[in-house]
Amino acid sequence: MFSFFNGKRQTKKNMKKEQNSSDQPNSNTKYPGYIDNTLSTNIDIIRKRTGNSSDIVFRSLKIGRNPEIKTAVVYVKGMVDSQSVNDFLIEPMMNNPALQEKIIPQEVLTIITEEVVALGGVKPVNDWDELFGSLMSGNTIIFIDGVSEALIASTQGGERRSIQESTTYVSVRGPKEAFTESIETNIAMVRRIINNPDLWIESMKLGKMTKTDVSVMYINEIADKEIVKEVHKRLKRIDLDGILESGYIEQLIEDQTLTTFPTLYHTDRPDAVAGNLLEGRIAIFVNGTPFVLLGPAVFIQFFQSVEDYYERYDIATAVRFLRIFIFFISLIGPAVYIAITTFHQEMIPTQLAIIIAAQRESVPFPAFVEALIMEITFEILREAGVRMPKAVGSTISIVGALVIGQAAIQAGIVSPAMVIVVSITAIASFATPSYAVAISARLIRFLFMISAATFGFYGLILALIMLLVHLCSLRSFGVPYMSPIAPFIPGEAGDTFVRKPVWAYKERPRLIATENLIREGKDQRPQPPANRQIDNQNQNIKKGDQNET
Amino acid sequence: MKRRWMFLFLMLISLLFLSGCWSKKELPELAIISAVGIDKNEEGKFVKTHQFINPNNVAGGLQGGGGGQGPSVSVYTSTGDNILEAHFRASTKVSRRLYHSHANLLVISEEVAREEGIQDILDAFERDPEIRTTMTIVIAKGRKAGDIITSLTSIDRIPAEKVNKTLETTEKMFGEHIKVSIQESISILESSGRELVITGFRQKGDSEKGKKLENIQNSELDATLEADGLAIFKEGKLIDWFHDEDARGVVWILDKVKETNVNIDWEKKKDAIAYQVIRQKTKVSADVKNGKPAITIHVRAEGDIREVVVPVDLTDPKVIANIEKGLGKEIEKELKDSINLAQKNKSDIFGFGETVQRSYPDAWRKMKNNWHDVTFPDLKVNVKVEAFIRRTGLRTNSYLSQMEINR
Repeated sequence: MFSFFNGKRQTKKNMKKEQNSSDQPNSNTKYPGYIDNTLSTNIDIIRKRTGNSSDIVFRSLKIGRNPEIKTAVVYVKGMVDSQSVNDFLIEPMMNNPALQEKIIPQEVLTIITEEVVALGGVKPVNDWDELFGSLMSGNTIIFIDGVSEALIASTQGGERRSIQESTTYVSVRGPKEAFTESIETNIAMVRRIINNPDLWIESMKLGKMTKTDVSVMYINEIADKEIVKEVHKRLKRIDLDGILESGYIEQLIEDQTLTTFPTLYHTDRPDAVAGNLLEGRIAIFVNGTPFVLLGPAVFIQFFQSVEDYYERYDIATAVRFLRIFIFFISLIGPAVYIAITTFHQEMIPTQLAIIIAAQRESVPFPAFVEALIMEITFEILREAGVRMPKAVGSTISIVGALVIGQAAIQAGIVSPAMVIVVSITAIASFATPSYAVAISARLIRFLFMISAATFGFYGLILALIMLLVHLCSLRSFGVPYMSPIAPFIPGEAGDTFVRKPVWAYKERPRLIATENLIREGKDQRPQPPANRQIDNQNQNIKKGDQNET
Repeated sequence: MKRRWMFLFLMLISLLFLSGCWSKKELPELAIISAVGIDKNEEGKFVKTHQFINPNNVAGGLQGGGGGQGPSVSVYTSTGDNILEAHFRASTKVSRRLYHSHANLLVISEEVAREEGIQDILDAFERDPEIRTTMTIVIAKGRKAGDIITSLTSIDRIPAEKVNKTLETTEKMFGEHIKVSIQESISILESSGRELVITGFRQKGDSEKGKKLENIQNSELDATLEADGLAIFKEGKLIDWFHDEDARGVVWILDKVKETNVNIDWEKKKDAIAYQVIRQKTKVSADVKNGKPAITIHVRAEGDIREVVVPVDLTDPKVIANIEKGLGKEIEKELKDSINLAQKNKSDIFGFGETVQRSYPDAWRKMKNNWHDVTFPDLKVNVKVEAFIRRTGLRTNSYLSQMEINR
């Protein structure tokens, strides 16, 4: 049935495409496929194609003696590094002695390439499509009258955000730098961490209109070749107008779309990317966003933070437990409160039951409605807080604090106990290290509240079981989402709820890096000196040697 | 795909059959019962007295200062031929659903306990899924159970709470009363070798004044509730009350004493030295010789000297040893007195029968039927007490010794 629908839809699309393509040749016929040998024609073609856009700079130059040869330098303002265009391209072309002699146009290209232009990448081009592609991505084009070829000089540059601290994944200990919007910078930042030729990068341009640079990065010896192939296959499938953020790609290549849980990990920290590459994962860089995708992702990964590995293991383990506890609070906090106060009052200590009963005495709504009101109020505040212009932010927090904290209680709409529950849940939902999982927990929380309000703890447990079944059914590039817990892999359980000492990480995750599993040498565990006596003797010798009197 | 939908379908279907604790009930829709009293009226019907918590008056001043105005509890009574009927009759008077899960006190009037016995009452409480069998039972001594239930109390604003906490504290600190739950009473009632002991509670003062809010606005209450004596049962019926040392002897033999104080005479001065037991262990063992059972009680008590009103040299080990010996005798006497009293009542409240049964099940089968009436009253009981003095408080010798030397 599925394929039947697909087929039908595709034919429709194809029809549209054909219509489109029958339209397009009209605009295409404005210029031929290859570069003309007269300069003015070429410049006219560019003018027409770009609709006389004002940010395209045409700079005419004359080189050679008897006859002078007309040339033109074309680039897009703001996209190029204007200093290198001026100093290493225009200036040498005007002043270089090699161009002041009598030359024939056919030789100009080689002379410019070999003697004049002091830039890293210069190559000839005769195809308009390629020419426009590189012009629009910030390269400079040199046209020479009488030559049906042009030169592309790589002058990409322009203003960009500099490397700054991460604001989404903050850590106390560890590198502070975060990715920027520039893909070259981002790739270089990872290369700076992993100085190894085995760090492989494959690039492609995605998006019909945007032609966004997308790079796939992995460590050749470690990453599973099948998964690399699969990533390629899925990326190649993408046929969209534009890729504006890595989120587009995430949604297009994930295994399962009917889930609130993220099946690809994203981060803006180079050290997180490096760590995941070393575990055999594959990184997808997208130009224009600091967020890099990592796959295959597993559920427990969203509770790990890079800092876990920088701290000592006992502390990191305690923090892991705390995070999972926090996740459960943010998932079932209000649901448990609803279940207890509407179904299982006998479970509350008498004193507390009396206090809650007294608080709820004046509240006209059932606990579920009360919880729903508070939760929605909180969601409104949160959303407003995120989207508001910063200048208005303090207003929101004051109004929010008054509305939630005080007025709602005094008006008798909600009870103080409910405010506590909702506040703790709200704080808990922000304490999860991964925002992606926190959002999905926030959404599922409402389902839990409904099930708790209809069936009490029984419904709550049932919903938890269904959630577990759902989580176990998820895959990320074929890797079970709940691994290494389900399926249970004893060797890797040390990086789930507990974080074992760094010297005990003997193997890489075997479902992700399928071959080349050995990660560290033997006897990595540090030990005190085997024989203290020898140590003391050494110290004595040192004492004698040094002028200790 | 098909399997998953099948699974979901089965789960949803199971919801209908595994309904569990179905009924949804909001907290404000509940009338939370804190204590239940059982009396009998002139017509011979059961009178059930419910003590409901008024959450607003207990939680106090939470919402706009409305709290603390009225009484912390409200009491409704209902009658019926049996407990359940009385329970359902109460719904004609109470606007909310009666909720028993937080009730932790059952008061039975002395009259009912003496005439009817408590075995007719407990089944209804044990059977109800909402009622906890960890509820404490007390006997309303000399009064109606309703008087205990209606009496308002200070400090602990819920009377049921006050009774429970008083029992807990006094059992721990003084050892003349014990806290007995429904569960425990039922298991003792079932046992053939043991009889029931339940603490009595007495309302001191005017019961009408006890109901009024003014009662708790005095520094000294017009009507107070206090633990008073142990009710001794025989075959489920109350037959006698034990007080003071006799009561403590019972608690001691049941090995429920944690801390208590024992006074001994010294150099002809009465109750001159006060000894505080801080830990004790009582072991009861049985012996059957020629078909005749004998019980040995071994008490090992440790404690401090807490009060001395005669000049006595507490630095001298011999004196300490003498005091220890004296203490041993005092405790022994106390235990023997309460055993004698129980034997007179022909009620084996100590569970000696159970001890015999455990050690000599064959011999027990023969004496089981006339244990309480024939064997127990003439039972030979050896009491051995070892008392140890561990410390003498912050002082060794009292200032009294110094005064005597200086004089």
